[in-house]
Amino acid sequence: MDKKISQKITVDLKIYPLEAIYGASYVFIDRAYLFLEPAGKNKVAITFRPKEDAGAKELENITGEFFNELLNYAFRLNLSKENKKIRQHIIEQALFAASEPAAEKFSDSGLGYGEDDDPLGIAIPWEEKYGQK
Amino acid sequence: MEIVFDKKLYKLEAIRSAIGAFAGLADFVLKSNQRGIAVKISNIDPEAADIIDGEFANYVLAQMKK
Repeated sequence: MDKKISQKITVDLKIYPLEAIYGASYVFIDRAYLFLEPAGKNKVAITFRPKEDAGAKELENITGEFFNELLNYAFRLNLSKENKKIRQHIIEQALFAASEPAAEKFSDSGLGYGEDDDPLGIAIPWEEKYGQK
Repeated sequence: MEIVFDKKLYKLEAIRSAIGAFAGLADFVLKSNQRGIAVKISNIDPEAADIIDGEFANYVLAQMKK
């Protein structure tokens, strides 16, 4: 991984979880070659090598953007953890509502809605309104 | 050419998956040692010789996200 120009950055796993590193790395694999190595206790070194003939300035931009993306992923992961219980509750409610028997909505015959669907009695049968053929 | 992937950072399944995807471009030998999982790449397609190591490592990294 030492061809052409490259830049190595170190990320502290106490601040950014490994999942965030994978997520942020995935965003940059179309612009650079990335390689992860351990760099001491709770630290990961990431080597960036640009795919095209990019200068040092461009490489610096890539690593800068990487840190921003890393922060973004770390924040999303935190948010996801915090909202886990709420998400579970919403899903449980949705599943519970979906499991209620639908047949209750229909009349005893099961062919359609019952008399309770016309509490004011304004519905006119087809035969009365248009006559029989 | 040899790439050594750290066992704590890369999963063996991800590396195997990458070998399957790149099998048409080179020969791969997988070895596990104390340093990590070593992938020896040989008989590389000349058209891919300059980029195969980087692309291979990126592919493994992409598999780690799944």
